[in-house]
Amino acid sequence: MIRTCLAAILTLALSGPALAHRVNVFASVEATDAGDVVVVEAKFSTGRIPTLGEVRVEDADGNLIGTHALQDDGTARFPLDPVAASGGMAITVTTDDDHEGYWILTPTDIAGGS
Amino acid sequence: MTRLAILALLAATPAAAHYGMIIPSDPMISQEDGRSVDLTISFSHPFEEDGMILERPQAFSVTHEGEATDLLGDLSEATVMDEPGYTLTYGLDRPGTHVFAMTPVPYWEPAEDAFIQHFTKTYVSAYGDDEGWDAELGLRTEIVPLTKPFGLWAGNVFQGIVHLDGAPVPFAEVEVEFYNKGQQTSAPSDLMITQTVKADGNGVFTYAAPSAGWWGFAALNTAPETMDYEGEDKAVELGAVIWVRFEEWITR
Repeated sequence: MIRTCLAAILTLALSGPALAHRVNVFASVEATDAGDVVVVEAKFSTGRIPTLGEVRVEDADGNLIGTHALQDDGTARFPLDPVAASGGMAITVTTDDDHEGYWILTPTDIAGGS
Repeated sequence: MTRLAILALLAATPAAAHYGMIIPSDPMISQEDGRSVDLTISFSHPFEEDGMILERPQAFSVTHEGEATDLLGDLSEATVMDEPGYTLTYGLDRPGTHVFAMTPVPYWEPAEDAFIQHFTKTYVSAYGDDEGWDAELGLRTEIVPLTKPFGLWAGNVFQGIVHLDGAPVPFAEVEVEFYNKGQQTSAPSDLMITQTVKADGNGVFTYAAPSAGWWGFAALNTAPETMDYEGEDKAVELGAVIWVRFEEWITR
């Protein structure tokens, strides 16, 4: 399922060196009055917040769902598309200084947040 | 009593120290590991895997980003090392370091003619984020880590400061013992089951673990107060216990 389909992304992510200056990515689903929102949070391993970067969102088959800019607080928010996210999503953050991290939002994660 | 009988009695008595134990399934949970950590909670002589009865603790909590959450009601009774203990599966909803801490009820130890209370804690990192690894919880006595208490190689040193009532304890005595799970090793001398190091004048101690696995550090101090046992005032040993896992160096 999602683990198999996202293997390429994971392999790519895991094959990179674990630099002293990693970027950690975490994503969750937040229920709001306007509907479910995906919240992406990025943080360097130093604890500092990246303020410039791109968030790339792919579905379980590796199809691009969308891209978003990191905000000043190191986050990105976008509405959850339940159809596109039905098999889970791979969320990759690439900072402007070319550090990369990812989070796999599984169907269970998504169900738990709704 | 014959000499043989005395020897037999001595042999039957564990030479090891008492330890409160909180052992997680993994001290570094990655997103590939899942979204929770399993904890095994006990009171034992860890080198000899000699279990003791752990009464329901006075307190059990997790602290994350400075906020403590009471988990006492979430503990499940379990048998650990053939004696009553507890287990807990805790969902890790957020990245960062989660510090699990137990305050047990004071345990009456007739052999030491004293009560023993070991304030025990273990640090677990979630999802690659180690922020909060040096957290001080404000326990009555605790070892505040100076070395990140996870992600250590076997052979690394671990350093911590012994605190009692919020202040460092100069020259505190710290007992060190390996959780010898599955009796994977043996000690050539009883003196090596529980090793002892002393802190310096600032309460800082250092220990280099010789092999991978869980190592328990217990800083022991005597409380200024006493407790009543059958009408007599008895001493109370306050232990600050921290469990730290060292990882095996892998050569490819």
